[in-house]
Amino acid sequence: MMNPNTERSVLQAVAQFFLYAVVAVFAENAVLLRALGVSRLIKLVNDPEVRTWQYCIPIIWVQTLSAPLGWAAQNLLFPALVRVLPVWFPPAALRPIIFVTCSLLAMGVVWLVLGASRNRAAYRDQLPAATFNCCVLGTLLIAANQNYSLLQSIAFGLGSGIGYLVAVLVVDEGRRRLRSKEIPAIFRGLPSSLIYIGILSLAIYGLVGTGNTL
Amino acid sequence: MAEIENRKSRRKRDKAPTLKEHAGTVIIPQISPEMLEQARRAAAAGKMPEQIEQEAMEAVRREEEAKEAAQARQAAQAESGVRAAAQRRPRTGKKGMTRAEAQAELVQSVHDDHLWLNNPVMVRGLGLAPAVVAATSGQTALMLCAAAILLLTATRVLAVSVCHRTQNRFRGVIYAYSAAILYIPVYLILYRLFGADLSLLGIYLPLLVVEPAIIKRMEADELETVGEAFRRGINNTVGLCVSLMLVGVLRELLAQGTVFGNKVLSVAPLPLASQPAAGFLLVGLIAAVWTAIGNAYVHYKMEEVRHLYDEPKH
Repeated sequence: MMNPNTERSVLQAVAQFFLYAVVAVFAENAVLLRALGVSRLIKLVNDPEVRTWQYCIPIIWVQTLSAPLGWAAQNLLFPALVRVLPVWFPPAALRPIIFVTCSLLAMGVVWLVLGASRNRAAYRDQLPAATFNCCVLGTLLIAANQNYSLLQSIAFGLGSGIGYLVAVLVVDEGRRRLRSKEIPAIFRGLPSSLIYIGILSLAIYGLVGTGNTL
Repeated sequence: MAEIENRKSRRKRDKAPTLKEHAGTVIIPQISPEMLEQARRAAAAGKMPEQIEQEAMEAVRREEEAKEAAQARQAAQAESGVRAAAQRRPRTGKKGMTRAEAQAELVQSVHDDHLWLNNPVMVRGLGLAPAVVAATSGQTALMLCAAAILLLTATRVLAVSVCHRTQNRFRGVIYAYSAAILYIPVYLILYRLFGADLSLLGIYLPLLVVEPAIIKRMEADELETVGEAFRRGINNTVGLCVSLMLVGVLRELLAQGTVFGNKVLSVAPLPLASQPAAGFLLVGLIAAVWTAIGNAYVHYKMEEVRHLYDEPKH
C-alpha cells in the first residue's frame, strides 16, 4: 500500500510520461517540425519493397531503448569527459560518436528482441538504416540539449518514434492521393511531397506557434 | 602487195608503233598469255602480220582501258563510300555507337551529374534536414557547406576503404562511425573558423554524421572503389553545397531582405521563410523548377540522340 505522496508522484510521473510522449508525437513531431529523417521517409513511401512497419517498428524500439543510454551519456559521461579533456578540445566534438554508440547498443538489444518476431528477417534488414537515422540521433541530441530527465527522455524517444510512424502514414496517404493526373507534371514526385509536408508543418506551426527547432 | 598497202595505211595512221617497236618499250612486259593466244589464233586464221599486230595492240589497249575503268570504278566506289560514311557519321556517333549505347551513355551521364541533373538535394531528396531547417541564411548555409566539404568525401573514402577490408559487411556501422570519427577533427576546424557561430546550426551540425547525403551509400550492396568514392564524394559535395547555398541565400532574402547580412530589400517579403514549414515549401518549389529544367534538358538530349541515331528509312 503506497502512501498518498508516493501515489501522487507515480501518477505525476505517468502523466508526465504520456504528456511528453504525446507532445513528441504531435506538437513536436520530429519529421514535421524538425525535418528529422525526412529524406529517408520520402524514400520509404516511394519504395514498394519496404513496408512501413518493417522500418518504423525498429525505429520506435531503437529510439526508446537508446533514450536512457543517451540520458546517461549526457548526465554521467560528458561531465566526466569535461574534467578529463584539455581546454582546447570542446566536448561537443564527441557528441555524435557517443550518441551513435548509444544507438548502436540499442540496435544490438533490438536485434535480439526482434528475433522473437515472426518477420524478424524483414525487420532486421531495415535495422541498420533505422538505427543510423537522423530521427534517432536528432531525438537524442534534442533530449540532451533540453536537459530532459530519464523519464522525459524515454517518453520523448518513444513519442518521437511513434511520431515518425504517424508522419510516414500521413505522407504515404498524401502521396497516394498526389498521384492524380491533375497534379502538374513538374510537381510530381519529390516537390509535391515536400510541399505536402510543408503544409502539414504549417498546420503544426499554426497550432504550437514559433519554437526553437534547432 | 597487200602487205605494202597495209604498211602504207599504217604509216598514214600517225605512224603507230609496230609490235616489235612496242615490245622494245612497254608492251612486251604487259602482253598476257591470253593476248599471245589471240595472236596465235589470228595467225592460224591466215591473217596478215600487220593485222595480227593490230589486233594484239587493240587487245592491249582494250585491256588497259578495262584496267583503267576498273580502277576508276574502284576509286569512285571508295570515294562514295567515304562520303556516305561521312554522311552517316552523325547517325552512328563519333565512337561508332548504336542508338541504344548512346542512350545508355546519356542516362549514365545524367546519373553522374550530381551538380544539376541528379542533385542530391533537389532531385534525390537527400540532405533535406539541414536544407529545410538549418539553412536559414547565407551564413548558416556557408557553415553547413564547410562541414559538408570536410566531411562528405572523407567519410565516403574512409568507409569504402574499411568496407574493402570487411568484405562489405557491417556497412551501416562502418559508415556511421567513419563519419562520427571524422566529425571530431572537422568540428575542431569549424570551431576555429566560425567560433561560437557554430551554435546557430544547433543539432543539425552533429546530425550530418547520419545524414543520408553523407552515408546513403551504406544501403548499396555493391562496393565502389576508393577512386569512385572520392570522385562521387566530390560530385555530391558540390551538388549539396550549391543547393544549401541557394536555399540559404533565398530564405535570408525572403525572411529578412538581406543577403549575407547586407540589406538588399527595404522590407522582408516573407518573414515565415525562416521557419521549417516555409523551408519545406520553398525547397519543394525550387525542386519543382529545378526538376522541370533538368527534365527539359534531358528530354532535349534524348530527342537529339533519337534524331542523330535514327536509322535511315528506305
